[in-house]
Amino acid sequence: MPPFVNPYADLDSQIEALMSCKTLAETDVKALCEKAKEMLAEESNVTPVRAPVTVCGDIHGQFADLLELFRIGGQCPDTNYLFMGDYVDRGYHSVESVSLLVALKVRFRDRITILRGNHESRQITQVYGFYDECLRKYGNAEVWKCFTDLFDYLPLTGLVENNIFCMHGGLSPTLDTLDHIRALDRIQEVPHEGPMCDLLWSDPDDRGGWGISPRGAGYTFGNDISEHFNHVNGLDLISRAHQLVMDGYSWSHDQSVVTIFSAPNYCYRCGNMAGIMEVSDDMSSTFQKFEPAPRRGEPEAASGGGGSRPDYFL
Amino acid sequence: MIPTAAPWAQTAKQQEVQAKHHPQGNTGPGSTDPVLSTNGTHIPPPSSSTPSANQQQQQQQQQQQHEQQQAQSSPGGERRYVPAHKALANASDLQLFLQSEACRDYIAFVLALNQAVTGRKLSEVGQNPSPAVQRMVATLDVLGSWVDEIPPEQQSLRYGNPAFRTWFARLTEQASSLLERVLLPEHHPAIVELTGYFIDSFGNATRIDYGTGHETTFCAFLHCLSKLGVFTEADHGCVVSLVFNKYLNLMRRIQTTYWLEPAGSHGVWGLDDYNFLPFIWGSAQLINHPLIRPKSIHNPDILEEFADEYLYLGCITFVKQVKKGPLQETSPMLCDISYVPHWAKVNSGMIKMYQAEVLSKFPIMQHFLFGSIIPFQRPSAPSAAASK
Repeated sequence: MPPFVNPYADLDSQIEALMSCKTLAETDVKALCEKAKEMLAEESNVTPVRAPVTVCGDIHGQFADLLELFRIGGQCPDTNYLFMGDYVDRGYHSVESVSLLVALKVRFRDRITILRGNHESRQITQVYGFYDECLRKYGNAEVWKCFTDLFDYLPLTGLVENNIFCMHGGLSPTLDTLDHIRALDRIQEVPHEGPMCDLLWSDPDDRGGWGISPRGAGYTFGNDISEHFNHVNGLDLISRAHQLVMDGYSWSHDQSVVTIFSAPNYCYRCGNMAGIMEVSDDMSSTFQKFEPAPRRGEPEAASGGGGSRPDYFL
Repeated sequence: MIPTAAPWAQTAKQQEVQAKHHPQGNTGPGSTDPVLSTNGTHIPPPSSSTPSANQQQQQQQQQQQHEQQQAQSSPGGERRYVPAHKALANASDLQLFLQSEACRDYIAFVLALNQAVTGRKLSEVGQNPSPAVQRMVATLDVLGSWVDEIPPEQQSLRYGNPAFRTWFARLTEQASSLLERVLLPEHHPAIVELTGYFIDSFGNATRIDYGTGHETTFCAFLHCLSKLGVFTEADHGCVVSLVFNKYLNLMRRIQTTYWLEPAGSHGVWGLDDYNFLPFIWGSAQLINHPLIRPKSIHNPDILEEFADEYLYLGCITFVKQVKKGPLQETSPMLCDISYVPHWAKVNSGMIKMYQAEVLSKFPIMQHFLFGSIIPFQRPSAPSAAASK
């Protein structure tokens, strides 16, 4: 009898390396992204998700806190996960964080859903850090290109048991039903306006109706809009991320909308808790909150004695 | 929460509201916006959401050209002041500005201040402040006393504290009268133009945020005062060590009291969440320092002893206070720069970087204000010079 060969051996060892915050080789990233792309291309814009599942918000490259999230919420695949985007930018470990999540997706495709956030975009990552981080860690922009090409394939929304509707930002005045969303052509860079943009950029607001967003993209939407959308689509809850909330999660619109934010002490300074929402078999929700993971001691001040000095200072 | 703002030029629809200084649509009743100038007229661009953004923009441009003609054609060469207003609608406008005399002039002002503090401690350059400097500092103290009077509200759902809007409303309301106390009567006609700069220097009340754009607006405000002759070249050292330093410390208090979100922060991948200019002038201060090197930012004793005398070290100290985590992780760029051998190199790098990362960035500069003192003209505009 031939010895048992684990077809996932390479991937498992990559995940193990990633779990200890090591970056993958450039060729491994390329191969991983290609596999993930094939897989994600088959997912609907409204990806169906089964309960039980743990729903998570923004990560923003806070890798140590992502590991803390798995420690609190349970390891993948023991716990099913739905991440609502914004894996990259601002934090120091965007490369490691997004590599791990994509690797887990490829390894356990039915156990983890990764949606697109407004930061999973070429244009935004060039402004808010992921591009710089890739250049710094790989010496070229190839890995950034692989990931941002992959981001085009990430589904826009997830639907837990036809009941909890999850997306990164919020609703759009041009989308009344889930079928409208299913009909979108999503495989593209996030546009500056329109339904796809709104799903990734909008925010709930205390004022009713639609409002112009101070972000310069997406809209603000009121209680009336959320209730109408939930009613028309037979939903109980809209779950979204995109905004920092000090307790890690926050209800709005008479509990028809919940905001979940999973990056504790955001940007090392905001003093917020992180939150995750555990949806059980019977569709009841409980929230877990957590503090930043303890950091290791201060590493060497700069790698190679300032080898990566910004151009302005050369 | 360090909200992500869209880095692209806004679409026409978004411009209708967004081009406004303080979008009314997002502040609701009791809004402190729009900013009122002394005579009670709205500071342009007052594009409302009724006509199309293009029409509005055209009207705004026409009005602006008209104002500039007025400014330059008034009898006796006397300047006609106009309410400060935004003028950069897109990336090509920004290019025009970057190539303009107004921009060169502004940069020259930044460099003149740089020169004034090169190789000198704050206490050394802050000697014998002029009455104008003293009045400006006293005004910033007044703003600081308001922070004492307006405590943060007990709410913790979102990041920015809404009490900042109360503070800001008071600023908006009293800006003109505060400036009347700073300026001699001969300069009072300029207040109509200066209030816009002054108010915008302290952050955005709608978004409850603050960033390098607001800091640049404050520097533009100081530049205007300098061009008006309120500050002379002899004041330059004091403008940095007393006025700007007072402003910097006030903003730090405001940031930590009301949890202002860092506008457009790049997180760990930027130089700093809020500031740029103190890194320029602060590195100039340390040029040829016998003891303190760029790598001295890792030495807690040096930071403790010299943070009050050198803006750069003050900034590092503040970053270490507010950010939890190793500096290499929270601020890799500051760490990298600590390996630059000399402060002169740090200083020249900071100046280049400021021009590239602040002045050349549309998301920041779309909010920059113009008027008769810092003018902006499109070449297609009917030449105002013709009426000279």
